[in-house]
Amino acid sequence: MEEVIFGSNIMQLLIALILVSTFMILGSTRLYSCVRAFGIQSFLLACVAGVVGFSTGKYDLYIIALLTLLLKAAVIPYIFIYIIREIKVKREIALYVGISPSLITGGILVVISYYLIRSINAITGLSSFALSASMSLVSIGLFVMISRKKAIMQMLGILIMENGLFLGAISLTNGMPLLVEIGVFFDVLIGVLIMGILIFRINKTFETIDTDKLKTLIG
Amino acid sequence: MYNILFPGIIFCFLIGAVFSILFNRNDRLANHISLLSASIASILGIIFSLSVVFGDSFSLSISGSSYLKFGFFVDRLSAFFILIISIAVFAVSIYSIGYIREYYGKKNIGYLGFLYNIFILSMILVVSANNAIMFLIVWELMSVVSYFLVIFEHEKAETRKAGFIYILMTHIGTGFILLSFLIMAGASGSYSFESFSAYGSTMPPFLKDITFLFTLIGFGTKAGIVPLHIWLPYAHPAAPGNVSALMSGVMIKTAIYMMIRVFFGFLGGGVIWWGFLVLAIGVISALLGIMYAVIESDIKRMLAFSSIENIGIILIGLGASLIFYASGNPGLSALAAIAAFYHLLNHSVFKGLLFMGAGSIIYSTHTKNIEQLGGLIKKMPVVSVLFLIGVLSISALPPFSGFVSEWLTLQALLMSFGSSDSFTRIVLPVSAAALALTGALAAFCFLKTFGMGFLALPRSEHAEHAKDPNMPMLLGMGIFALLSILLGILPVYVLPFIGMIASTFTGASVIDQPFSYGVFGTITLPANRIYLSTPVLFSIILILILITTGLYLGSRRKNKLYETWGCGQPVSTARNEYTATAFSKPVQIWFRNIYRPIRELHAAYTVSPLIKESFKFELKIEQTFERYLYSPMVDLILRISRQIKMIQTGSIHAYLSYIFGTLVILMMFIILGGS
Repeated sequence: MEEVIFGSNIMQLLIALILVSTFMILGSTRLYSCVRAFGIQSFLLACVAGVVGFSTGKYDLYIIALLTLLLKAAVIPYIFIYIIREIKVKREIALYVGISPSLITGGILVVISYYLIRSINAITGLSSFALSASMSLVSIGLFVMISRKKAIMQMLGILIMENGLFLGAISLTNGMPLLVEIGVFFDVLIGVLIMGILIFRINKTFETIDTDKLKTLIG
Repeated sequence: MYNILFPGIIFCFLIGAVFSILFNRNDRLANHISLLSASIASILGIIFSLSVVFGDSFSLSISGSSYLKFGFFVDRLSAFFILIISIAVFAVSIYSIGYIREYYGKKNIGYLGFLYNIFILSMILVVSANNAIMFLIVWELMSVVSYFLVIFEHEKAETRKAGFIYILMTHIGTGFILLSFLIMAGASGSYSFESFSAYGSTMPPFLKDITFLFTLIGFGTKAGIVPLHIWLPYAHPAAPGNVSALMSGVMIKTAIYMMIRVFFGFLGGGVIWWGFLVLAIGVISALLGIMYAVIESDIKRMLAFSSIENIGIILIGLGASLIFYASGNPGLSALAAIAAFYHLLNHSVFKGLLFMGAGSIIYSTHTKNIEQLGGLIKKMPVVSVLFLIGVLSISALPPFSGFVSEWLTLQALLMSFGSSDSFTRIVLPVSAAALALTGALAAFCFLKTFGMGFLALPRSEHAEHAKDPNMPMLLGMGIFALLSILLGILPVYVLPFIGMIASTFTGASVIDQPFSYGVFGTITLPANRIYLSTPVLFSIILILILITTGLYLGSRRKNKLYETWGCGQPVSTARNEYTATAFSKPVQIWFRNIYRPIRELHAAYTVSPLIKESFKFELKIEQTFERYLYSPMVDLILRISRQIKMIQTGSIHAYLSYIFGTLVILMMFIILGGS
């Protein structure tokens, strides 16, 4: 059954687009466009959930799709924009790794993920395509957290990883039980709120959200 | 009946623990509840252990899982230790009713009551666990709870330091215990002590030796053998007085329990060099322990060092027992084991008494320093008499308890003359000589303590306003004092009982029993025709005392009263008195190669270097082992740690990169491994 769903052209297209949106985050130098790319990614994810729901006939996946749309594509980006506006941070993201090396690294990570999933014998067929995309999202999210200086980007990185996990979960199980999904959404929302508050506190205490400056906590 | 007794003991301690926490708003109530249930539990413990000794062994299984069988097993050996714990807990609990009053309103009494009950419970469970995992859990519980008790007065920096050293050392010990258990579990295929004793003796000799060494190090750390003793002189003085009495009197004995269990029960006696090693450690611990005790002027630290000495004496007995056992002489082995056991019992009694005495002194004078005491015999007459009984017992003077057990140990060592092995014939008598030296130094040490602390004039304000503490404290000490005398005068009733326990693991049958018991409470060692009748000894001493007193009173000398140490001087104050440091100076000079004191002389000059304004002389005696063994080790660890610390940059990005790098490496590993 899985093969039918994920083999369908529309799924392949959606997953490819998700990867593209991830590269948009890697490739942009401005906070706003990063947040926008993240919104697009979440929107595409909601579409994936919807398509899976449609083709398997599990209607609770529609609710999940709706929640994804609402939370990840609307509320969380709004929180980001609110934070950026409130703390009057410079709109450019500060980098450790330049744009082009970042993009190349992202590409390498996708390739590694692809081979990784291929070499796990248990997962065969076309769902491995979604799974390797999910693996790429997780590793690229981690890479974003490493290579960007601003605390907001660390927050964004962790959300990309979360999206990757969501994609992986949906591709492996065709949608987890609703209760679990709602729990996860709640976690993400609370996580974002707490991280947002932390960023405010960091900004207030150190007058910067550049994590490069926070290096004194060593033994 | 004892199917109910054992859970009853556990239940009583839990009640005490929970309710003292619940009522911690009311200091008095919390204190009384915790101590009352502890004393009830200890009475149950005494009944229980006696019924096991004279009846059958007891076992109780909690979980039925085939892989991990948690449960309790109490044979005579365990019962003996439960008995020691229970007796000590009973006396100490009564004592604590008064002693804890000092903390009312200052500290959280409910918390103390909770820890106190859990601590005792864990000790009882340690000696009755029948499974290695279960044992490690309760052993760890005991260590951690006693750590919290040590740092109970955590507002003092030195107490926190003591706690740190204690928990560090005790965990190093637990590491070794874990290793030895894993080795035995590997050989026997199960974690239950039953299978340890079934398969332990069939292990290859090499593994047996390793297990023996690890056990010795692991439990030796807890027992306080030299050179693993360094935590003891810190931790015992730092804890509240009643807890030190339990830690020193009982807790360190649980380690001896496990040593006996492992050496005899699991490993089946082993080879002769084990015995020599234990004996050597015993001799070194006894000698060094008492040497450091002699020069110590902090009364609780002195007692802690003396605990090291007494553990040494117990280990001498145990080592001799192992030697005789391995050389096929179960009768003598039983004798040495009996001596060790009797000393263990005695030590828990008189050391408990002395620690409680020290606690009483601190309770009424608020100082631990012997140099600041003096004249207490007039201010605290009852405590003085009780303390004197403890002092006489620990100095091994007849007719008090310490004498009997040290006499037995000496006899056991000297009986090695009959041994066929010449090495044994040389080493054991030499150890006996070392033991004699230890006894002499112990007498010297406690003469100093009693003389400087209780006689002469008060040396400080503190000592001048001292008075006897409250009734429960005196009662608690009284129980132990009475026991010390009884154990000294009537060993003839106790020794058969201990003989029964020793025969369970030395395998000496009734015919091999080393004693025969005659009239007038006479103990006879038939092998050498040696007799000891403590009641007769007691009577002779009593008569001598009566005669001396009679002569003294009869002479009716006219006594003129002068100030003490007056020397014809018109003024005599406490400043003219002989000090404790001065008293122990000869010992310090005899053994200066061991003490290695650090002397520093600072002179402050005025204008001319010829005219000196003041001199300051400093004499420091550090622990030799701390300086030459532990400091280099600590330095090494710190150096390595500093190298490792390089990877701690403080940057979030670096930390994330570590994760990322690990992730990528793992991914590559799977890819390359999978294809």
